[in-house]
Amino acid sequence: MAAVTRLCCVLRLSFEGVGALRALGGAAHLSSLARPSPTQYAPVTAALQQNRHSSFFNKLTADELWRGVLAESGAGARKGRGKRTKRKMKKDLNRGQNLGEGRAGYLWPGLNTPVYKDGSVQKPSQRGEAEQKEVTAALERQRDEWDKRRKTKIKRERGWTGYSWGGISLGPPDPGPNGETYEDFDSRVIEVKSVFNVTAKESRKRSISALVAVGNGNGAAGFALGKAADKNTALRKAKNRAMHYLYYIERYNNHTIYHDIESKFKRTTLRMKKQNKGYGLRCHRAVITLCKLIGIEDMYAKVDGSVNLLNITRALFHGLANQETHQNLADKKQLNVVEFRAEQGTLPIVVARPQMGARKEPEVEDDVPNTRLHWADVKASQGVKRSVWSGVKRTIW
Amino acid sequence: MAVFSFTRCLVRSYFCVKYVDHVQTLLQTTTRMFSVSASRSSFVDVPKAQFTDTEVQDILTKITGLDLKKVFRPIRQQLTPPKYKLMTDTELEESVCKAEKQAKHLLKMPPVLPERKPINDVLSEDQMLEGMDTANYVFTDINFNVPHRERFIVVREPSGTLRKATWNERDRIIQVYFPKEGRKITPPPIFKEENLRMVFEQDRHEDVLNQCVVQFEPDSVEFKNVLILTYEDIEKHGKYDLLRSTRFFGGLAWHLVNGQRIDGLLVDMLQRDLMQDAVRLVRLFNLVHPQSESAQHAQRQQATDLDLLKIYAQYESKRAGFIDLAVQTYEQTKALSSF
Repeated sequence: MAAVTRLCCVLRLSFEGVGALRALGGAAHLSSLARPSPTQYAPVTAALQQNRHSSFFNKLTADELWRGVLAESGAGARKGRGKRTKRKMKKDLNRGQNLGEGRAGYLWPGLNTPVYKDGSVQKPSQRGEAEQKEVTAALERQRDEWDKRRKTKIKRERGWTGYSWGGISLGPPDPGPNGETYEDFDSRVIEVKSVFNVTAKESRKRSISALVAVGNGNGAAGFALGKAADKNTALRKAKNRAMHYLYYIERYNNHTIYHDIESKFKRTTLRMKKQNKGYGLRCHRAVITLCKLIGIEDMYAKVDGSVNLLNITRALFHGLANQETHQNLADKKQLNVVEFRAEQGTLPIVVARPQMGARKEPEVEDDVPNTRLHWADVKASQGVKRSVWSGVKRTIW
Repeated sequence: MAVFSFTRCLVRSYFCVKYVDHVQTLLQTTTRMFSVSASRSSFVDVPKAQFTDTEVQDILTKITGLDLKKVFRPIRQQLTPPKYKLMTDTELEESVCKAEKQAKHLLKMPPVLPERKPINDVLSEDQMLEGMDTANYVFTDINFNVPHRERFIVVREPSGTLRKATWNERDRIIQVYFPKEGRKITPPPIFKEENLRMVFEQDRHEDVLNQCVVQFEPDSVEFKNVLILTYEDIEKHGKYDLLRSTRFFGGLAWHLVNGQRIDGLLVDMLQRDLMQDAVRLVRLFNLVHPQSESAQHAQRQQATDLDLLKIYAQYESKRAGFIDLAVQTYEQTKALSSF
């Protein structure tokens, strides 16, 4: 390839009368003209001008050139030394260019213009000055429009905060291999963090870890962790993996849990309290996201200890999965479970009856209930709690 | 004794006012104030049944029914999470009994009293004080231990006359000095005719009646007016079920029986298969109108249960066909089920 192109880089002899001898990439032409002419014909006054038609722009492909410009794999890019703001975008320069369109504005039948016109073959011709100006102006405008469209920033839906990926929805998971679709499931990102692994070959190998939860709002939900070198792959992996690890969670009247739960996982304690309809989800933002996916609408939750998001998720799912429904409680204790609501006075509402029938001996209740109190709850109920956020009136939960 | 009962009456909240127990004392005090001898017109041979008779009250409570779910409907208040108890069957029955007792307490009927007579008592006329001011002066006795019915409230008019305050003025002044929860000084605009019509379209008869019981005294003109309007509307549209299992059903039944218009209510009961209630209603009608044909026939034949219905359908009712048909179907189904 290089040898052929080098043949073109030859002395271009200017003959009078030959006229328009354009550089049609003319490798064969000029080489054939060059070799025998000076010896055979009579000497002609020729002004030798050096004219190179091939430079390194012609010798290399577009990809190679762009690789050189962008410098993606240099010493600077490795080990995370590259600056975040300096990043050039690769642009396809062939877009918008047609074979045959040039600065001079020649019309080549077969390329610019149709070959046959009114039955006869057309000859190459040239456009007028004004027309050519118009054509070039239109091309410029088109290129500018493409550039502008590329530059416009698509507004990303805001998660828990402007920059964080927590709480952002990724849509339904991808369909399975046997054609099953999961259209009624919604997936939400809980956490996206970049983690490093030290390897022998490269010192710190960076990868993105994404914790995604999926749920259909009707009790079926699950979560999974996905890791990959780039963010989108990690999110996709986690989203699809979460569908393989689903929990079914029982809800009371489809809006809250059956009873107060205190679940502990590693160093994270999650205290959840059952609430009435209309209370809303007054919890940690991750717990709110997860409860919305499960379908719980009213609950109070407090995270004590470590606030590690993965541990919070695991504590929540373990606690909710090990709930005791009213029917379970009735069967376990062999007694009727009766509900008393304050807004309905003293009316007893039987919620669950044991399958074998209730036993005769009533439940023994001590005067002092054997529950462990939490100092924060005691302070809140006594009114001793001094917090600017405790009495604040919020409209969105 | 009457004093204590009255103060207790005032202090209690308006959902649980024990009216029937104190109706006797109310009547006594009104008679004491005006020294009107209780002379009933004795033109009827058989004594007419009164609202306060035990038999009448018994019948009215029975036809009101006791639907716990309706009586203990969720009321509008700050919600709290529910509480759970593990109970045996006996404990459950006990709690249901307690709930029924509470329901009976809530279903105590507001009293049906004769309309209070207007007060036109002038205490003195002083020509000298004429033109002393442009407004009336009201002098009230605000001793705490005086029952409201016995309070002295007098008005000095610009013309110099010192007179006892009218019932309207009395109610307003007592509300100013001894405000009762839920009662407004001027009656709210819901009690106007056109507003009442709108409320009735929304089927909120019970709310109107509750408000009326709070706002007005049971023997006042406005109270009776509102009650009559409500009852008329219910009778016109046949919405008897709205008041069933509330404390106003007795009053509705009493009003209809007195007006001799129990056909609609009877038909409604028969449609809902409440045979016993229908029989009780006819018995109440016979008690209240002992000189009517059906009562006399029933007396002669010593009829019971369905025969009462048949007699009533035969002689008094305008929708005899429907009642007869219903009685027949009931007898047939009873015969079939007994086989």
